[in-house]
Amino acid sequence: MSAVDIDRINVFMAVRKAERPARRAAFSLALPLIAFLVVAFVAPILYLLVTAFGNPETREVLPRTLVALENWDGTSTPEEPVYAALAADLKIAKDNSTAALLGKRLNYEISGMRSRVLSAARMADKLETGPYKEKFIGLHQDWASPDVWSVIKRNGASFTPYYLLTALDLQQAPDGSLERTAGDQAIFLDVLGRTLFVAGLVTLFTLLLGYPVAYVLTIAPKAVAGIMMLMVLLPLWTSLLVRTTAWVVLLQSDGIINDLLMALHLTSEKIQLIFTRIGTVTAMTHIQLPFTILPIYSVMRSIPTTQLRAARSLGAGPSSAFWRVYAPQTLPGVVAGCLMTFILSLGYYITPALVGGPRDQMVSNFISVYINRDLNWGLAAGLGVVLLGVTLAIYLLFLRLVGADKIKLG
Amino acid sequence: MWLPSYATPSERLMRTLVVALAVAVLLFLIAPLFIIVPLSFSKDPFFTLPVQEYSLRWYEDFFGNPRWMTAIANSAIAAVLTTILATTLGTLAALGISRADFPARRLVMALLISPMIVPIVIVAVGSYLFFGQFGLTNTRTGLVLAHTALATPFVVITVTATLSTYDTNLTRAALSLGASPSSTFFRVTLPNIMPGVVSGAIFAFATSFDEVVVALFMTAAEQRTLPVQMFSGIRDQINPTIMAAATLLLALSIMLFATLSLLTRRRVR
Amino acid sequence: MNFSQRVSVAADRPVDALVRFEDVKKSYDGINFVVKDLNLNVRRGEFLTMLGPSGSGKTTTLMMLGGFERPTLGHILLDGKPVERLPPEKRNIGFVFQNYALFPHMTVAENVAFPLRYRGITGVAAKDKVREALGRVSLEALGDRRPAQLSGGQQQRVALARALVFEPSLVLMDEPLGALDKQLRERMQIEIKQLQTSLGITMVYVTHDQSEALTMSDRIAVFHDGRIQQLADPETLYNEPSNRFVASFIGENNTLPCTLLGREGGMAVVRMGDGSKFKAAADISGTGGDMSVSVRPENIGLAGQDGRPDFNRFGGKVRDVFFLGDHMRLSVEAFGGEFVTARIPARRLRPFAPGDDVALECNVAECRLLEA
Repeated sequence: MSAVDIDRINVFMAVRKAERPARRAAFSLALPLIAFLVVAFVAPILYLLVTAFGNPETREVLPRTLVALENWDGTSTPEEPVYAALAADLKIAKDNSTAALLGKRLNYEISGMRSRVLSAARMADKLETGPYKEKFIGLHQDWASPDVWSVIKRNGASFTPYYLLTALDLQQAPDGSLERTAGDQAIFLDVLGRTLFVAGLVTLFTLLLGYPVAYVLTIAPKAVAGIMMLMVLLPLWTSLLVRTTAWVVLLQSDGIINDLLMALHLTSEKIQLIFTRIGTVTAMTHIQLPFTILPIYSVMRSIPTTQLRAARSLGAGPSSAFWRVYAPQTLPGVVAGCLMTFILSLGYYITPALVGGPRDQMVSNFISVYINRDLNWGLAAGLGVVLLGVTLAIYLLFLRLVGADKIKLG
Repeated sequence: MWLPSYATPSERLMRTLVVALAVAVLLFLIAPLFIIVPLSFSKDPFFTLPVQEYSLRWYEDFFGNPRWMTAIANSAIAAVLTTILATTLGTLAALGISRADFPARRLVMALLISPMIVPIVIVAVGSYLFFGQFGLTNTRTGLVLAHTALATPFVVITVTATLSTYDTNLTRAALSLGASPSSTFFRVTLPNIMPGVVSGAIFAFATSFDEVVVALFMTAAEQRTLPVQMFSGIRDQINPTIMAAATLLLALSIMLFATLSLLTRRRVR
Repeated sequence: MNFSQRVSVAADRPVDALVRFEDVKKSYDGINFVVKDLNLNVRRGEFLTMLGPSGSGKTTTLMMLGGFERPTLGHILLDGKPVERLPPEKRNIGFVFQNYALFPHMTVAENVAFPLRYRGITGVAAKDKVREALGRVSLEALGDRRPAQLSGGQQQRVALARALVFEPSLVLMDEPLGALDKQLRERMQIEIKQLQTSLGITMVYVTHDQSEALTMSDRIAVFHDGRIQQLADPETLYNEPSNRFVASFIGENNTLPCTLLGREGGMAVVRMGDGSKFKAAADISGTGGDMSVSVRPENIGLAGQDGRPDFNRFGGKVRDVFFLGDHMRLSVEAFGGEFVTARIPARRLRPFAPGDDVALECNVAECRLLEA
């Protein structure tokens, strides 16, 4: 290394050192919010991830059994010590009333395990001495099955891919290999596909309806454009719930849209609109339109009028000038608006819940159902991971193509 | 300016069609909002127009019902607390991130904006499970914490936007005239970025006041907010009292929006 | 008859006019006219500049010619055919816009190739033409760049190449050099002028910069208040302004109020504000009333001891003296309250101080009588 290089490095280090206090000062201003978000926003999401992969039930309820299973060959029926450990574990579980937790957890993977674990616990509570093996097998055949034991052994691990796999319609065979979930259990890919499809449809409609609005906003006389802008921004400001309420009312079978259609003789009998896919997509399109319009408008506004004039003077006709010169320049706005609407549409909950039918429920609605009704937090969290993954992937695309600092409000 | 004067006839026709489509879309945007207003003043519990007879019965119902009143109070308290927290944290962060020497700005900005992006159910469920560990579910504290996280991106965005037009020479001038850094901030910087801060505060208030999903997970009957009350109402059996509530929320939105418009207009001038 | 009208009638034989404006008027609101009664012939192969302050109607006139505005009344003839209703893309006129209007989503070569597509030129033929056009403005190497990657001067050249590539007989330019710095602007003025001469194209150029107009033009039309004030070659315009507006807009001028007394050997005799008599060259008729005498600062000198026959002589009090390197500027109060600026070579000036009395003179031929 020459003296010049060393000089340069020294200068570089000196500059960095000199800048450090300023950088630290700037960062320290943002620190409270960063810290707050880490605690109140990032931590809950991370906790959700932990819930999606966490697997405490078997480890906590069957510690001795898991130790006894360490030497099991994995293919034959286990030996007596395993059953003795199981009896001891279940006795304690009965006292702590934790057997139901274990039963519920194992039931996810082998149906019927819930009642088997509960009855085994009741039996174990009464047993004083062994041998235990025949008694368990006598209670139910499954206690002899190597498949059941391998599931129990597998769930001795702290983390499980089970919930995430289920959310993707996959399951682990007793031998550990992956397979498609069979038949009527496999609903989640359908739900995910539906969510993506509805979000895509809403994005497409907002683009088709929003693009002309954005364009007209740029060519309208100033006063008119101001009123039009108001008509775009006011819905954005109105509570999402109010807008959804309006659609619930509008779409009623005895509601205003049906009245209107019949008055116009477009239909002779009432159409089912509420609790349908059409209703859901219409309401969501209505709610998302401003999000698509605004970025497109802000890009269109920055295109000088001379661009179209130049195209015309060079020989392009009106439509050619529009498609070859104007439209390509609006692309950044289209990308920003569409990605934003797509991301937001993926997470819709309220509107499908109130306007959609059972076949229109999105991933978010299923998450809510698993939390509130089925109390299957793991699966809710697994679905959450899938939804979050898809959303973040598109958010990353948005950050690359558009940038977080380009988001504007109104 | 609707048409360039050199437009050809086919271009004129096309323009007319596009303008007509845009007007139709704008009506589609605005009409559903105002449908609920006449319905809330109807005497009959049906959702059809035209309204046969007007009355205030649903408003009497609304204001006479302690459930709705508690819900309004809960929403207002949560929204005010959220606004104070989010505006303070968000303004500070925007001040930092707007400085030229902020490290890793893109990354930090992506984090600060992400509460707008992450599906609301994920935030709700995550908060429900996480805050549950500390006994914060079914408490106002938990709700305000979660709402503040959701509201801060709006404050960061509006204040950053205002700061981008703020002349840093004003700060330098104040310091050169002998003001301390803190009095420079309060007497020079803050008054100049005030429109952005107030806009952010209005956004934060609206975010919390209108929010349903997190409130649905994080509250019990005692902390139940207005949107949650409405949501459960619509779920069970939609009734005109909800129309009255929706109309009042719409009026609030228009008021907040008007305030914001006045603020931004003043900023332009 | 007004000076400008006399020139245009004498010089513009309709035969060689590429463009004719016939009684063209333009109004946006039906009340105020931005262009009032425009009659103008653009000759084939000439470089015609429309010069004037902003709002004078020059850009509107250019836009009407380009097809971007439609005349409210009157006709525009291109090659003898009326074109008012012809859309811009059918006029085959090259247009260079104020901020170039290069298409940001296309490369330089794609920008230049753009007009060729609409003229059925594609493939190798188009490539050759693009190369040739870029060569003309010395940008062969930058065909693959995007406009944003070019300097202002390079963008300007691309705009020029794009407007020339389809060989239009008429090229319009709307303040094309306004965004460039002074040095580059001067170089581009020469380049554009050379291109115009070598290609033999007709160019109509809009600017508010008088030195640009004087440098490049064959003829200059001075616009003010929606009308052409004077149409002439640069020298005539500078030396023989036909009215007060032109006199003050082109270069610096002292315009001094006076009263016309009569004529004497082709010269007008006027009485100045302080009662002294001046002689001045006059193209305008008229027999009396309020007029003004215009004289350029560089045509005023220090008077010797004796009055010379062909010079107007006057005295005044020095109010300000500025040293400007090669010359000095004197601001002198004379004619009972008027301020006269004189520009005098520095070496010939004895040191003056504000308050000094000074005697000045100017050649009668360089004093021009104008209507007030």
